[in-house]
Amino acid sequence: MKKILAILLAGMMTATAFAGCGGGGSSSQASESKSGDSSAASSDAGATDEMTKDANTVDPSLFGDENNITLKVWAPDKAVSLVKEQVEAFKKAYPDKTFTKIEVIAQGEGDAGTQLLNDASVAADVFSFASDQLNKLVDAKVISEVAFAKTVTDMNSPETITAGTLNGKLYAYPETNDNGYYLVYDKTVVPEDKTAKLEDILAACKAAGKKFIFNCGDGFYACTFAFTAGVKIDGLEEDGVTQKFTQYDEAEAVKTLQAFSKLMKEYKGTFTSLDVAQIASGFSTGTLGAGVDGSWNTTADQDALKDKFGAAKLPTINVDGTDKQMISMFGYKYIGVNASSKFPASAQILAYYLAGETCQEQRAEKLGWGPSNKAVQEKPVVKDSPVLQAIAQQAQNACPQVNIAPTFWSPMGNLGNKLIADETKADDAAYFTKLLKDTIANVRDEA
Amino acid sequence: MTFVEYKMLNPFQRFAYKFKKFFKAIPGAIGRFFKAIGRFFVKLFTGIGKGFKNYGTTFVKGDWATKLSYLIFGVGDLHKGKIYKGILYFLAEVLYILYIVFFGWQYISKFNSLGTVETHVEKVGLIPKTVPGDNSMLILLYSVLTIVITIVVFAIYISNIKDAYKHQVMRANGEKPTTLRQDVREFLDGKYHITLLSFPVLMICVFNILPLIFMILIAFTNYDKQHMPPGTLFTWVGMENFAALFDVVNTPKKATTFLELTGWTLIWAVLATFSNYILGMIVALMINKKGIKLKALWRTLFVIAIAVPQFVSLLLMNQMLQTNGALNVLLSDISRMFGGGPVEIQFLNSSTLMARTTVIIVNIWVGIPYTILSMSGILMNIPEDLYESARIDGASPVKTFTAITLPYMIFVTTPQLITQFVGNINNFNVIYLLTGGGPTTQDYYQAGRTDILVTWLFTLSMNSQDYGLAAAIGILVFIVCATLSLIIYNNSKSMKDEEAFS
Amino acid sequence: MIKSYKLRRHIANAIIYVLLAILGLLWISPFVYLLMHSFRLESMTTVPYLIPHQWGFDNYIALFQNSGSSAINFPRWFLNTLVVAIFSCIISTISVLAVAYTFSRLRFGARKKLMNVAMILGMFPGFMTMIAIYYLLKAMGLNQNLIALVICYSSGAGMGFQISKGFFDTIPRALDEAATIDGATKNQIFWRIILPMSKPIVVYTVLTSFIGPWCDFILAKIIMGDARDLYTVAIGLQSMVSPEFINQYYKQFLAGSVLVAVPITTLFLIMQRYYVEGVTAGGVKG
Repeated sequence: MKKILAILLAGMMTATAFAGCGGGGSSSQASESKSGDSSAASSDAGATDEMTKDANTVDPSLFGDENNITLKVWAPDKAVSLVKEQVEAFKKAYPDKTFTKIEVIAQGEGDAGTQLLNDASVAADVFSFASDQLNKLVDAKVISEVAFAKTVTDMNSPETITAGTLNGKLYAYPETNDNGYYLVYDKTVVPEDKTAKLEDILAACKAAGKKFIFNCGDGFYACTFAFTAGVKIDGLEEDGVTQKFTQYDEAEAVKTLQAFSKLMKEYKGTFTSLDVAQIASGFSTGTLGAGVDGSWNTTADQDALKDKFGAAKLPTINVDGTDKQMISMFGYKYIGVNASSKFPASAQILAYYLAGETCQEQRAEKLGWGPSNKAVQEKPVVKDSPVLQAIAQQAQNACPQVNIAPTFWSPMGNLGNKLIADETKADDAAYFTKLLKDTIANVRDEA
Repeated sequence: MTFVEYKMLNPFQRFAYKFKKFFKAIPGAIGRFFKAIGRFFVKLFTGIGKGFKNYGTTFVKGDWATKLSYLIFGVGDLHKGKIYKGILYFLAEVLYILYIVFFGWQYISKFNSLGTVETHVEKVGLIPKTVPGDNSMLILLYSVLTIVITIVVFAIYISNIKDAYKHQVMRANGEKPTTLRQDVREFLDGKYHITLLSFPVLMICVFNILPLIFMILIAFTNYDKQHMPPGTLFTWVGMENFAALFDVVNTPKKATTFLELTGWTLIWAVLATFSNYILGMIVALMINKKGIKLKALWRTLFVIAIAVPQFVSLLLMNQMLQTNGALNVLLSDISRMFGGGPVEIQFLNSSTLMARTTVIIVNIWVGIPYTILSMSGILMNIPEDLYESARIDGASPVKTFTAITLPYMIFVTTPQLITQFVGNINNFNVIYLLTGGGPTTQDYYQAGRTDILVTWLFTLSMNSQDYGLAAAIGILVFIVCATLSLIIYNNSKSMKDEEAFS
Repeated sequence: MIKSYKLRRHIANAIIYVLLAILGLLWISPFVYLLMHSFRLESMTTVPYLIPHQWGFDNYIALFQNSGSSAINFPRWFLNTLVVAIFSCIISTISVLAVAYTFSRLRFGARKKLMNVAMILGMFPGFMTMIAIYYLLKAMGLNQNLIALVICYSSGAGMGFQISKGFFDTIPRALDEAATIDGATKNQIFWRIILPMSKPIVVYTVLTSFIGPWCDFILAKIIMGDARDLYTVAIGLQSMVSPEFINQYYKQFLAGSVLVAVPITTLFLIMQRYYVEGVTAGGVKG
């Protein structure tokens, strides 16, 4: 079954490639509409046929003269043993090549970028990383652009491609479509039908004497307040470092912020701002009713709650009588290729393999990672998982983590801190107007 | 005021007098300090001038071997029979040339521009290959290394010439050069300071001074998020980074942040230093009081606080001070005992005053054990006869303390006090691990209410990649610390007469 | 009169005992908390009560069993740190004592200038220079190498001579002079006369330089990069509480912290006896 699908897909891909050459066609619409630049860039290079054999492998001639290949791969600790198996399978897929050594080393995705920036020459050739680091890596030119951009674009969900594209070039192979946060709750505290509205959730928690955790002090979570208020980000300005914001209605935005602040005050003692590492503990000690937790903590939350575990997209908040959906920051995980790799072609081909369909499916099965591959997204392993479904739904209500300026996080964290701070008065509209303006000015570094 | 007049004053007047004297002395001290710096430069340049003159005259008076030493190191020494030294000189030259040819030149030649070739990508078929360009950071670093090595080799060069001439004169006078054995003995006795200092100084030069020069130079470049090696180049920008810290018109937020953080840094350093010093001394006095038993036990209780790595104990503290942390749990339990509700005090991330008080208290917890340890030793060291005579004079315990213990302690610990003060200005761990700079605020640029200058420059370089700005702040902090401590240290009693209490 | 004096002293002592007990308790309580929770079995990170419900050695055992994760290797980290600490402690102690003795006993032209330079050098915010140190070590081929750590931790030691110099200053000069008359070189004076009298300051220096490697988690991380087998306990423990690992490893982190504290505390307790003895002896001599 898998094989048939792969062949079908490969056939589709070839069709896409030709259609792209012919200048139109239904299956290439996604890539065309999402990132016209990137496909243009790759066709500039004179590669309409990217010589990819299927969703996992490419034509062996692409290795060029590289032989006796030595590569280093970084994967997060939990995935190391699986990635090792996948690397073995990769070697088998290219029987004519000799691989001297491909080592897989545990390296967290959050830290990979920093390590690479410190000294790229000792870093891995192929590495997993989280999307927030892409900007720095591209600026420092330590990450190589994707060689098979067109095929990769067609295979993966458009938002992961958009977030991986900078200046019209795709810089990394999408690995997951799940690096975000969503609502986790104790089904015995918050009934399943009460998870749609933040007000209901808080009321249920308060009634049961349990807490609700949302990390207001961390910009990654706190930007939800700004996004929900309609203050969304829209890439960077021309200079490549200043964050661009979408047009927003200031009065409306301020009202939303006030609504959040009011809820926090109303449910003081229930609504708490703590690190997400407290959530699984809170569930296991029975002090927590619900929380907004990162997808990487899912296993811990499930272990703590067992069959009481519930997952859903973020709730709505009532602003002046209308329920507004909370919009989150949504990130992705990528596989990047080190620009200073001694085996650039092999590294690209390995990255293509590890980000390919088979590997993504294996990781969805064994690690519960939400795939970015469109074909895998339709498979039962994803469709039947309530967690992955909740994350997928949240992804529909999210700001993709594209081109984030380094100055973005701390002002957003401050915004969250101020909403919940004891000194803040929720009915002081002027204060929130100023807070919002200051936050945006600080993010944009207009100091 | 004479000593007799001073003795007739009451304690308050004495204090006022000393206070006035201290502050009156400050301008003079600063003046002396800069005069000393001036003198230093005058000496330096006259020294250089003299050096050139000697350089010339030696050449004129030198024989062929001495003259050849101007080109090839060690020839003079070899010719005069000082074989091992000659070989060493010669080796130094060879190594230096090899270094320059194979390593140094490629960097030092680009020092002026810090690189011109940008990194770029070439596509080979489908595969993008990155062609590395110049790396401004490495150019700067290895240029500094080359310059330092060159200065050292130049010193060796000069000493080679002097040595050659010295041996020429010695031969003319019919003297023989010293043997290796004699030299070794000299290095163990008359020149023993060179033997002892050479290794530490070498290490400090390579791993402290050299990186320091590098960092200082970074402050004059535009190394920031838009100019990140190895991808993009950075270059010299002069005083721009310093200007940003003081320019209230164009960069008001950076300027206010700098000003306010400087204020808080000083307040923090004073409070942290003196709270530790005074409280530490009180506890040390209590432990060492006559008649108190189990001294070792009491000390041990405090010492355990040092034995746990600071980042662990501070991380633990951070968690205990959260709204759901151990301290709030404890307070809630107590409050429930009296019929109250749960307590959720935000120690770290809400009110500025609360957070600042918390850091100072936690710093007392971290720092006192060190003070106790060092004070205990010194307290036991106070000559007993001083106390004896005080007791005979019928002095009260308080009087004994202020007249004997305190002056003695201050005398012995002044250097330590300065080190601690400066240490607190640079006290990264406590602030960074405990509050991370929080409570956050929108009024500062990339900083929070408990951020001190060093934690701010750390965030600047880590979060927003403002390396140039961070280095500029580092330099300013350094200048303040260095000036302050040089003045105090060189004017302190224990420095002026080093042998007073021995 | 005498009686009331005695009584007053007793009351004063009683007050001091109470105060010391309270303060001691305050100082020790975070560690009691740490110790108790390192034996906790339930939950993941922190819990909303002070005393654990279920106790056991599981966290400690888990630290020493390879849990199938290639990222966490506590025994190896512990060994690394021990080795680095021992070597850097030896080098640091020699450097500090050499510099302190030089400035205290030997008189030469640049003495005062060098002392001033050494004093202010340590005042530059250190971590600004880390990336430079990294690339210097890399140029020497020492990155991702434990020797690099030994070098880093002992290289600056010479600048921390003040306290030792203060101690040497209190040793009477007459001893040196007598030895010089007997024909001893400065070298012999240093090793045979001054050092044997300086046990307390040697102990002090050994202790402070031994602790350093157990605490640094920034520079060591930059030097080691992804070589997790070469981590020291400080970076290792730090990584155990990173978002990636915290839920799984927090309790092991507590256990690991206790294990790190044990050798240092023991050392302190043993050395403290010598320390106090030495200082008292020094006081009698002075």
